[in-house]
Amino acid sequence: MSLLLILIPLLSSLAIFALRGANVRYVALAAAVANLAVTAAAWAGFDSSAAVNHAFSAPWVPQAGISFSLSMDGISLLLVALTNLLAPLIVLSSYNRSFGQDARYYGLVLMMIGALNGVFLADDGLLFYIFYELALIPIYFICAIWGGDDRIRVTLKFFIYTFIGSLFMLVSLLWVYMQTNVEGHHSFAWTDLVQVQLPEHTANWVMLGFFLAFAVKMPVFPFHTWQPDTYVSAPTGGTMLLSGIMLKMGIYGVIRWMVPLAPEAMHTLAPTFITLAVIGIVYASIIAIKQSDLKRLIAYSSIAHVGLIAAGVLAWNKTGVQGGLIQMLNHGINVVGLFYVVDLLERRLGTRSLSDMGGIAKSAPRFATLFMIITLGAVAVPLTNGFPGEFMLLNGVWKYNFWAGLAAGFTIIFGAVYMLRAYGLAMFGTTNDNTERFADVETRDWIVLGAIAALVILLGFFPQIVLNLTDASVNRILGAVQI
Amino acid sequence: MKSLLILFIGAIVVLFAGLGKKKGLLQPLALIASLLALGASVLDLNMGDASGLNERYADMFAFDQYALVFTAVTLVAVSLLIGLTGWGFRTLSDTLGDNLGLILFSVCGALVMFSFQNLTMLFLGIEILSIPLYVLAGSRRDDLASNEAALKYFLMGSFATGILLFGMALVYGATASFDLTRIAAAISDGQHSVGMLNVGILLILIGLSFKISAAPFHFWAPDVYEGSPNLITAFMSTVVKTAGIAAFYRLFAEGFIGAQGFWSTAVAAISAMTMVLANTTAIFQNNFKRMMAYSSISHAGYLLLGILSIGNAASNGAGALLFYTLTYSIATICAFAAYMVVAEQNRDGSFAAFNGLGKKQPLLALMMTIAMLSLAGIPPTAGFFGKYFLFTSALDEYPWLVVLAVINSAISIYYYFKVIIAMYFSREENDYAAPVPAGFRWVMLTALVLIALLTILPGSVYALI
Repeated sequence: MSLLLILIPLLSSLAIFALRGANVRYVALAAAVANLAVTAAAWAGFDSSAAVNHAFSAPWVPQAGISFSLSMDGISLLLVALTNLLAPLIVLSSYNRSFGQDARYYGLVLMMIGALNGVFLADDGLLFYIFYELALIPIYFICAIWGGDDRIRVTLKFFIYTFIGSLFMLVSLLWVYMQTNVEGHHSFAWTDLVQVQLPEHTANWVMLGFFLAFAVKMPVFPFHTWQPDTYVSAPTGGTMLLSGIMLKMGIYGVIRWMVPLAPEAMHTLAPTFITLAVIGIVYASIIAIKQSDLKRLIAYSSIAHVGLIAAGVLAWNKTGVQGGLIQMLNHGINVVGLFYVVDLLERRLGTRSLSDMGGIAKSAPRFATLFMIITLGAVAVPLTNGFPGEFMLLNGVWKYNFWAGLAAGFTIIFGAVYMLRAYGLAMFGTTNDNTERFADVETRDWIVLGAIAALVILLGFFPQIVLNLTDASVNRILGAVQI
Repeated sequence: MKSLLILFIGAIVVLFAGLGKKKGLLQPLALIASLLALGASVLDLNMGDASGLNERYADMFAFDQYALVFTAVTLVAVSLLIGLTGWGFRTLSDTLGDNLGLILFSVCGALVMFSFQNLTMLFLGIEILSIPLYVLAGSRRDDLASNEAALKYFLMGSFATGILLFGMALVYGATASFDLTRIAAAISDGQHSVGMLNVGILLILIGLSFKISAAPFHFWAPDVYEGSPNLITAFMSTVVKTAGIAAFYRLFAEGFIGAQGFWSTAVAAISAMTMVLANTTAIFQNNFKRMMAYSSISHAGYLLLGILSIGNAASNGAGALLFYTLTYSIATICAFAAYMVVAEQNRDGSFAAFNGLGKKQPLLALMMTIAMLSLAGIPPTAGFFGKYFLFTSALDEYPWLVVLAVINSAISIYYYFKVIIAMYFSREENDYAAPVPAGFRWVMLTALVLIALLTILPGSVYALI
């Protein structure tokens, strides 16, 4: 089943490249929905008491201890669910735009989905690294072919930043791999890598290597400079992939690989990392308040939200990690909704600037309602999906350190300020020529925004669905990794 | 030995057939010779236990597993290159037989370099490899750049040969033998003149660095690569490099292993210098062939990491070199094949020649993309595994050098991506009206399949030695 989740998108991506018709968009949607169905089946057959579920393993380079092994626990399944839940929505929201050569675009999107599933399922260090990099290639092409004006420079910066980060991760991974010893051979299997005991001095370097890769990906202050430009210049589908799913690779990497492989370094380095994350929260929030470009505003808000998730996870206590996991799912859902809204506004109005909007709520009340629900989710109002996650994260950081928790708490206030300001400027106030004839949502918008709004409310009322899924796995990983 | 004989006879047949009128037969003949030789070497390969295989000839050659696998790798590259000659050499129809014959003769030299057991054979192998190449570099006789390249290559090559010979003479003086096993025995006995031996090794090291174009002995490469006909440049940067590094490894692993403490520092320094110089210079190139020349120099730097793994029983340096040269050769040939078609219509050779290729010739552009990603070592391409095997083989003893190599790989993305950016993202679009020649299609598809296979089953080649 794990293998299917990777093979379906990758093979249909190849098929789409070969087909190159105008109808490939339907093939892409069918593949994404099929993957969602497989995910649902995997969830239905999931046994949270077992250490791993749906495992698949085949030797790849046995001489070097590399195997193609996949498996899922609650944490993996949560992220796989996020990926495959968002995939059909992302494909569907791409229907609004013509890409010249559709086959290329949808092929790349599916390749990306396959690679992302691979990242979350990989049980072998090198396999994880390969999928981690494989995910980078399609998104690079998506952003650079269909991006905005400055796309070539911006995307090359993005590529080189993330690639250099991952190379440091590779060196760290290799270092740990060289210390493994399974019957006289080295091994990349997660279970073998975790058993390696590093002296604290080396562990610091190993953890730094991992952190560079993941901090660039998330991004954590001060490694975030590629992010706003890339989000803004990328086509909407690309931005959704980047912000909705791809940045979760970084947080997932912290939970699954960075801390378990070098727990010895947590004492020394965690305070620095958490400080950086908290600085990022405040810094990005303040910049977001000043933005007039809606897409850029959401890009900065994303840095702030991810900063909080990173801080909570790095506090490495049960509340923090659980909060981080639930918030990864919710942030993914909300941010895809918000970027869909930005795309819709930009398509209809020809601008993303808040100063050119206003009064849309009058002409499009249904749109205003859906946008409101998603905004409230992003602001983390109680009974929306954002609330339980942010609450647990803050609680986790608080337990770790009072002052860090206090500073991170600003995210709620600032979040409310910039999101409600943006909402107010866009939807209320006086109409202008542009917004007066703003048509309300169409069928496709209903499907995407409706699904997201429904999830916002559903997960707001029943966060337990997610918490139960990951509970046993989080206990297991916290128990196995003693700091 | 069979491969060597087949190639030699094939070369003579092609040479004489070139006198006749049926020029169309020449390329198939050369291809058949190359494929037969490939088949012969693969059939002799011992897939399971490599130790039993050792066909020796009067202590001069040893066609052991090591020689056979490198022969096979080289012949894969040669076969692909010959597949390109039908169109690539079409302007040279009156000298086609000579050119193809010379290529095959040159490959004979490479085979000798894989199997030598005696320094004289190494010297002969290098000369058999090089002399046809001096001629081939100047095969576009009416082109000034081609003539310049030939002359430069010849002068620099003879210079390097002189240094190499001097080194060999000194090693002979120190150990009283040209035979690899006797040299090794003499060194381990300690009954030799250390100073003379070290100078000799150093001079041989310099001579071989010339051949594989490692810094600071690389200055000839960009000019020669740029001036030579495209196909010959591809030949130089694949077959010659493979032969050079394989001979390098054999010589140092079998002959000079006892003096490792002395030469390993020098090799590490050359490797570091090569990587840094080549990559930082390649960034500033605007000409595709010059960029590929610096890229090829930088790969020589990575390949030297394999030499540094000699003596480390835990790592398989030879296997890493084998896999690396194979993936590197295939990717380089793909890149040059695509460039040859592009250069037909956009002669200036700058990256702008690739503008809009992605839309006009998707297969060619895909080929080129995969080649560039593989050369840059981006997962999951085969080039990644090449770098992975090579870097891990040296990680135990030279972690700083591996970190340097990793940083350099990151730098290399910048210039490899220039081509990809031009092909797909440029708003300007050139005209590529001419269809891709039929022979090229076959070569490209074969290369694609090979890259895919190497990606899926990297262990199968890596574990051959």
